[in-house]
Amino acid sequence: MAKVQVLNVAVLDNPSPFRNPFQFEITFECMEDLPEDLEWKIIYVGSAESEEYDQVLDSVLVGPVPAGRHMFVFQADAPNTGLIPESDAVGVTVVLITCTYRGQEFIRIGYYVNNEYTDPELRENPPVKPDYTQLQRNILASNPRVTRFHINWEATMDKMEDSENVDPAPNAMLPPTSMPGKAPPLGLMPDNSMDCL
Amino acid sequence: DKLTRPWLPVSKPIFSVDIHPDGTKFATGGQGEDSGKVVIWNMAPVLREEDERNENIPKLLCQMDNHLACVNCVRWSNNGLYLASGGDDKLVMVWKRAAFIGPSAVFGSSSKLANVEQWRCVMILRNHTGDVMDVAWSPHDVWLASCSVDNTIVIWNARKFPEIVMTLKGHTGLVKGLTWDPVGKYIASQADDRSLKVWRTMDWQLETNITKPFSECGGTTHVLRLSWSPDGQYLVSAHAMNNSGPTAQIIERDGWKTNMDFVGHRKAVTVVKFNPKIFKKKQKNGSTPKPSCPYCCCAVGSKDRSLSVWLTSLKRPLVVIHDLFDKSIMDITWTLNGLGLLVCSMDGTVAFLDFSQDELGDPLNEEEKNAIHQNIYGKSLAITMESQLSSTIIENPEMLKYQQERQVNQNPNEAQGIGPESQTPKLTNVLNGESLEDIRKNLLNKQVETRTADGRRRITPLCIAQLDTGDFSPALFNSVPILPGSSASTQLTPQISSDSSTANSLGLRPSHDPTTTSPNKTAEENKDSATAAVNSIGMKSNLLLTSASKIEPMKALDSRFTERSKATPGVTSVPLTIGITPLDRVKDCSSVKEPKGKDETSSDSEDKIMVKSMAKRKGEMEGAEVVEKRKKGRPRKDAKMMPISQPFPQVTFLLSKDAWTSKSMDGVSTDGVTYLEVENEVSVVSGSRLSQLKWSREGREWDALLPSRIIIAAGSNDVVAVACEDRTLSVFTACGRRLIPSIILPAPMSALHCSRHFVMALTASATLSVWDVQKQTALVKNESLNPILSGTDATVSQSFLTQQGVAVVSLSNGKTYCFNSSLETWNLIADKQDSLVQCTDFRNCVSAQDALGSMGPLALTQGRNLSAGRLASRLSSTPHHLQQGMTLAFLEKQLSSALVLLSASEYRHWLLIYARFLVNEGYELRLRELCQDLLGPVHKSSSSSWEPTVLGLRKRDLLTEVLPVIGQNLRFQRLFTEYQDQLELLRLK
Repeated sequence: MAKVQVLNVAVLDNPSPFRNPFQFEITFECMEDLPEDLEWKIIYVGSAESEEYDQVLDSVLVGPVPAGRHMFVFQADAPNTGLIPESDAVGVTVVLITCTYRGQEFIRIGYYVNNEYTDPELRENPPVKPDYTQLQRNILASNPRVTRFHINWEATMDKMEDSENVDPAPNAMLPPTSMPGKAPPLGLMPDNSMDCL
Repeated sequence: DKLTRPWLPVSKPIFSVDIHPDGTKFATGGQGEDSGKVVIWNMAPVLREEDERNENIPKLLCQMDNHLACVNCVRWSNNGLYLASGGDDKLVMVWKRAAFIGPSAVFGSSSKLANVEQWRCVMILRNHTGDVMDVAWSPHDVWLASCSVDNTIVIWNARKFPEIVMTLKGHTGLVKGLTWDPVGKYIASQADDRSLKVWRTMDWQLETNITKPFSECGGTTHVLRLSWSPDGQYLVSAHAMNNSGPTAQIIERDGWKTNMDFVGHRKAVTVVKFNPKIFKKKQKNGSTPKPSCPYCCCAVGSKDRSLSVWLTSLKRPLVVIHDLFDKSIMDITWTLNGLGLLVCSMDGTVAFLDFSQDELGDPLNEEEKNAIHQNIYGKSLAITMESQLSSTIIENPEMLKYQQERQVNQNPNEAQGIGPESQTPKLTNVLNGESLEDIRKNLLNKQVETRTADGRRRITPLCIAQLDTGDFSPALFNSVPILPGSSASTQLTPQISSDSSTANSLGLRPSHDPTTTSPNKTAEENKDSATAAVNSIGMKSNLLLTSASKIEPMKALDSRFTERSKATPGVTSVPLTIGITPLDRVKDCSSVKEPKGKDETSSDSEDKIMVKSMAKRKGEMEGAEVVEKRKKGRPRKDAKMMPISQPFPQVTFLLSKDAWTSKSMDGVSTDGVTYLEVENEVSVVSGSRLSQLKWSREGREWDALLPSRIIIAAGSNDVVAVACEDRTLSVFTACGRRLIPSIILPAPMSALHCSRHFVMALTASATLSVWDVQKQTALVKNESLNPILSGTDATVSQSFLTQQGVAVVSLSNGKTYCFNSSLETWNLIADKQDSLVQCTDFRNCVSAQDALGSMGPLALTQGRNLSAGRLASRLSSTPHHLQQGMTLAFLEKQLSSALVLLSASEYRHWLLIYARFLVNEGYELRLRELCQDLLGPVHKSSSSSWEPTVLGLRKRDLLTEVLPVIGQNLRFQRLFTEYQDQLELLRLK
């Protein structure tokens, strides 16, 4: 059982211009007082092709965390456009919120993000070099993808079996029925299995 | 009988099983994957084979893995509303069904594996310092008892969780089983210390200690679940020995005789469970109906993996089932009709036994059962239900009054059902009366963000609910963010409105205010646009996916959701090194403090007086040098005036009505506010510069001219004091009349305070003086601060003067002292590092109306530290007796501090809390001493040095306030009567 349960993530300021900072209002519940801070990160996936283009927009320590229900707003600057491959600037990508405790990631919340021009003219004929001032970022807030990981919440490592640290369902995002060219639309894709049940 | 083994795809040990009072479901508790596990199962598939085969009938209703370690016991409350569970994580959790949440509310999950019923933990009871082995609800759910390997039994007030009624101490070994007397007069416990103890519920004292049948007991069993017969006549123990054979000892209520036992098991008995029904012999057709004695039925489970069922009317067991399981039997539960039996085992399985009425007999109905109780105890259970302390004779009419008042006070809670709900208002307390929406709107601006030493952002999350304070609203997930300019009505998305009633409890009141229609509209629009956006994404991805080349990236994206960030560029994942962790912690702490320190030095360091360093250089200090020092150490506005380059600087002190501190503040004009304005170098007369002091209140003003530049001014309703550069102190009345010729100070003034007709001066040579300018006497005469400053690097961070003329000095090391002029000593009154403060827990003793009385100098110095009671619950590892001792010490310190500070209202406040604490924890001697001091000698005698008042409060009036507190605990009724009578006697005199 994870000591920290994320109860809600509200995406603020959405949709918004591309250069606006990301704002997530995160509500979580903690079973008991945590001696250490939680570390939250916002990771912007610059390109689906490679992790190389992932940008950590910001990481923040959250604490102290006594037992109870807490909330905070995590604001992070928009991604550095210089690090985004030009071909991936427009279209669908992903933003991830991760939380780690004692250096171990125990939850990963992913959102699809759609970047597109608001101007119909630009939408029809996008410039070769993306014009980030005209891009609008739209986070698909209604469809968070949550993956939880077993971690060792205590200070002692010895009791922790390594096997438990492995992602419970590494391929859960790819249903067995999905064949190339016939993948279901995004919104209907089954959720990844939850280890919490 | 019929024996079935239900499908329980569990291989982990099951330690406990309990059937819900309505018979439709049952709970199991045991080991989960890496946590404790409570599971609620549907009963129907167990009872009927066709239901078992029916795919549409769910077998599993809810799984809860909130317990951090193995669950040893699950028990339904008698009313069926609550489930209590206790586990190796030292916690007792109370669960309640969340009626308004649909299936599955887990954030972001699919509903495939959803829980059919939602049971939420509404209360976590923390007190035990070891594994909780057994929990038991008292008849009528008045109390919940839990026992633990910490050798104690805790009685919780089930109507006011998490209030503790009493901690029963006396066992010297792990307590492993509990059972309530069905009549409610006793609770029995069995422990590894080879004893079975029976406690009275009237005063929670030991009724009897039974050891003989257990003296031979060797080895240990995981549990010792004993049971009381439904007629209350017999108590049957778990593991006992008779002639070196394992038995279940029968203890008669009448005289606690131990003459009978259940014999036959080959290994220790782990669990005994009486059938809830009382039976009478089945009338056979044709046979003459002859009245037979009613009897009880009892199931006994053992470590030898077998189960026996006994009737008290038979000498031999009704049935014995050998080798029922692969491992020891852990728990037994009967269906309410008395014909079914579930047994669970360490091997992870549960078996169901079904009896017929032919086998067990005719169960008596409730009326007949009550008639039996009536016969034996002179009252039926149905009657006892309301009077909790039915069997106590209340000897004193006054006592009766307070007992009744207490019950009245409890009633509002009862009206709302058991405790948890009644706790919900507390949630708003956490939010300081602000609604959650308001908080959410401003959260980004309001939340505290600091930088750690290594420059990282650190956010202090806003606590919106304490875990212990009650029912949370259901998960808010997918709730709509509050849009700028929109009202609370944005909360009314379909998901949320469905459980609006629970949301209310959090203060999330969906408002249908017609005036908010326009924001409402924008919200609608926003929502529309949001859905539109969703659609466009959906469509877009559809399009994208048709072209094969684009599939790969999508797959790639999806995998990101689940893959842990192994080597995310820009982030160095911190490897967990145990040795380093505490170090990191320290760094964190220091880094939090650091920015604060900077703040203080850079902006407003008026409170940071370098008294100490000055004190060291006392001898060599001369005027000019001191001015230098002053400029550096105290960049106040008036200090800045000193340079001649600023010819006419002007400073206004805004003086609030009561607290007359000399906080400088520039010209804010508010009516009814007093201003003290200092203008240095108004004019130069024959080479000497004059300074002017202006005073104004409600239109009335006066001014005074002084021959030297003013460095500090302070005032109260009665007096105004100013200190000048030439080391003089002048004191004026509120009308501007000079009261005393200039006082020459031994060193330049460092801090000056006025309160009523008292003036306090702290000089740069670290001495303190307090004068009563009305009586023209010195209360403190140039007293050195060395005793409190020596040996520390601390500096004076704050000082003030109370209304009673007591000087209070806080140091930068978190300690606060006051000067006790009668003893002529410095007294420590607050210490932020004091571990006593952090570990005390007297929340139970604080009543709502107390909050007002806690305002005063003591509260001012201790400040937020006093919410420390909260900290106490964090230190659940602190043993109760230790915490009790710390609380006692802390409360006594508070009381004496209030006394030294001459703060009457705070003295009264802490006296009442102290009295309540003594009453709750049963400190009779101290209580008696307290009463005796308050009462004083009844007959006048010249030798007595007893003072009838304390801080202007009449002691006997205080006693009159304390007595009702004492009256709430029946255990102290003799004490109550004694002092009540004496007080009455004195009143008549």
